Amino acid sequence: MSVTKMVYPLYQLGNPQLRIFRPNWLLTLVRPGKEQPPDTVQFRIPMDMTKYDVKNYLEKIYNVPVGVIRTRIQFGSNKKRNHLNQKVKKPDYKVAYVQLAQGQTFTFPDIFPEKDRTPKEGSMEEMQEKFMEDEKQRQKLDPRRGGVTEWFGL
Amino acid sequence: MAARIRLPLLLSRSFPPLRSLKYVHTEAAAKEPQYPPIVASLTAKSKSARLRQNEERIKMISSSPVEEKLSLITHIQRMKFVVYPQTFSRNPDSWYQHFTKTAYIPGLPEKFNPGTEGSQSAADQPAAPEIDEAAFNEIRDLVTRVILHEHWHKMRKRKPFLYKHQEQVVGPFLKTLVSDLTHSLAKYNPLLRLSSLDLSPQVNFYWRRGKRIIPRGHRRGRQEPIRFQIDDHPHSQIRIPQQLPQFAPLEASYTAEVPEIHLAPNVMPLFRRQYDNNIFTGAKLPDPACYGHTQFHLVPDRYHRDRLARQQHSDQVEPFLRANAAASLFAWTGAQAMYQGFWDYQDVSRPFVSQAVITDGHFFSFFCYQLNTLALSVETDANNPRKNLLWGTESLRLYEGVQDGAVVGLDDGVLRLLVQFLMNRPHS
Repeated sequence: MSVTKMVYPLYQLGNPQLRIFRPNWLLTLVRPGKEQPPDTVQFRIPMDMTKYDVKNYLEKIYNVPVGVIRTRIQFGSNKKRNHLNQKVKKPDYKVAYVQLAQGQTFTFPDIFPEKDRTPKEGSMEEMQEKFMEDEKQRQKLDPRRGGVTEWFGL
Repeated sequence: MAARIRLPLLLSRSFPPLRSLKYVHTEAAAKEPQYPPIVASLTAKSKSARLRQNEERIKMISSSPVEEKLSLITHIQRMKFVVYPQTFSRNPDSWYQHFTKTAYIPGLPEKFNPGTEGSQSAADQPAAPEIDEAAFNEIRDLVTRVILHEHWHKMRKRKPFLYKHQEQVVGPFLKTLVSDLTHSLAKYNPLLRLSSLDLSPQVNFYWRRGKRIIPRGHRRGRQEPIRFQIDDHPHSQIRIPQQLPQFAPLEASYTAEVPEIHLAPNVMPLFRRQYDNNIFTGAKLPDPACYGHTQFHLVPDRYHRDRLARQQHSDQVEPFLRANAAASLFAWTGAQAMYQGFWDYQDVSRPFVSQAVITDGHFFSFFCYQLNTLALSVETDANNPRKNLLWGTESLRLYEGVQDGAVVGLDDGVLRLLVQFLMNRPHS
């Protein structure tokens, strides 16, 4: 199947079932913008996919027990204008909310965890940081003056 | 100078009791307010004025008669969540329990357990003839007759169309069963003679629970209560002029657990609409049979367990039934309580009790509901330890099937439960 638009044959009673052996679709798992229940997973799917396509895709390829799927199409705004005052369209995309079956839950993982920024002992960075801290301490005014500047005074 | 100052101080220290005796009556007089109480303004553009306006409105509603009260509570229309008791959502029972502050207790209350049945019937003996073996056999014959009439003897020209089996076959069966059972049990339960059997009634209820912050619009950032409406259409219901006795004391609900869900209801999915807010038990306000006895619900084809099994959703059958019972019975008992004049700020003084039987023709599930509190909005729920209680059974099979003009596998236990449900009446 090529990347171009997929045309499904019209189904009539008695026709063989439509089978897709190597689908060309990619699903993107995204973090939900609004809070979702623990059994709901949010995907961005190609516009051509339907709910039944997503269900079969997840069940057959990834063995994920799927309960119910709801989809919607998000309109990408056409309001922003570039430096030539032309309207710039953000692309539309389809979102699928997949509710997992068999009591399974899913939470979107933390992809960018906070790194521990303390430098290790005896390294160049630690000495540089200490030097910068001492410099800053020297620039600060006498705390006994309570924030008053040194322009005037004895 | 120092000596002159000290003397009156010395005097005051030695004579305090005399002084207090002299001033007893004048102190009481001084306590009476000389000026009207200082309260916030009623018309200013301030938060305290808004609070005072709300208090005045609450006082006005509390002091008006029931019809006016209902119309004052429901006449303003706003966007509200429409709660369908029979829903396609996944795991709706925990959501509905949160919306209605209901705790689910598996199994039925002690009244319906076989251990205490003997004492119950002994206590009721002087009032009316009790159900003995002969009477029970009669009832069993009646039920067999009804099943055979519908599934064996009745001439059907063609099979019911796709997904019309429940409404065309099981609906009439349940209707005949309910009316025949009610009429035959009326000689054992005098309350049923005064009852009113409604067929395809309407039950509506409107309430507020929780708050949300308005995200967009000219009222952005302000708090708004979340409104709900149930429009239920049970298959049939029995209404009685006296109230059923409570299943458990009010205090017993303090320890029950209600599932808390901190997500917005529209994620469930639940949809919002704006239309008339109705509160209706099935009959209008002046009707003497204003209390509820039993509701009968039919499981439609869409939620039939065979269809759910084909879609591999068999684990959703029981949550569907529980959610249906919780929502329907909460709406019915809440409407009954509002007909008596209780509302959000005037909580119920006695628990309101109702029963429900949900069936799809073969499987029967029995539920008992006790409404202990109507105070579900944020202000009234802050210190409210009361919770509503829902008792329920799993689905029990009444009969296996019909073969060669005979009913196979009729379960006596289920029949006894059904009879006990219909025989439930206040002690006296």
